[in-house]
Amino acid sequence: MSEQGHHPAVPSPIERRVAALQVLLAERGLVPDGFIEEVTRRYESEIGPMNGARVVARAWADPEYRMRLLADGTAAVAELGFSGPEGDHIVVVENTPAVHNVIVCTLCSCYPWPLLGLPPAWYKDPPYRARMVREPRSLLAEMGCSLSDEIEIRVWDSSAEVRYLVLPERPPRSEDMAEAELAALVTRDSMIGVARL
Amino acid sequence: MTEPLSLSGLDLPRRNGELAFDEPWQSTVFALAAAVVEHGFAGDREPFRQQLISAIAADPGRPYWESWTAALEALTRTLPGP
Repeated sequence: MSEQGHHPAVPSPIERRVAALQVLLAERGLVPDGFIEEVTRRYESEIGPMNGARVVARAWADPEYRMRLLADGTAAVAELGFSGPEGDHIVVVENTPAVHNVIVCTLCSCYPWPLLGLPPAWYKDPPYRARMVREPRSLLAEMGCSLSDEIEIRVWDSSAEVRYLVLPERPPRSEDMAEAELAALVTRDSMIGVARL
Repeated sequence: MTEPLSLSGLDLPRRNGELAFDEPWQSTVFALAAAVVEHGFAGDREPFRQQLISAIAADPGRPYWESWTAALEALTRTLPGP
């Protein structure tokens, strides 16, 4: 048995920096009791791609909702109860047989949190942020999403205001499915645009 | 007896990808930024976003949540004194 096993782990430098920030900000009265736990709980259990999947399924099932979603994403997702930080200006871009959309944030990590939760690690990393703009077709193929040359690729770089969501094409043979079943088909990656269904 | 998880509940985010945070300090610093945006900047995310852009540009290879931490440290220095 190792000696270290009997002692609490020594905090790493980054853990100490975060702890110092927490103390400083709490002293300034900016961190209400329980705030950190509540935010963490919400982003680990309530806010995630299942929200976006409900929006997509509704758009597939209800043509009028789809029209509203494409016309004013923010208002249409609020109909289903989704709003909050990073959700003020939602723009939904629709895939068709001729057009494939994909989202990126070249400068940081902007992402439609209320619909997809926090972004995956690769979305925040420099290779994705740089290459999706420069060579989207090659990068998509490397990510397992090969598109024929006839399909136009549109890359949407999230700006200070706008958060994009991809509306994937409804999969074949899903005509008879109810909305809840449709929602279960929708993956996070299809709503970022790095996968097709 | 606990209720079964519904399809729209906890299973999908994991099926669709990874958990939001790898380590506790990451969720802490994420929530601290949310607290500062909400209570120090009246919900305006843009000042933090600009700090995050600068922090990422200053050290592109740095792990994401460390850049996030650096951004929050820089933003904290811009707050009015106590």
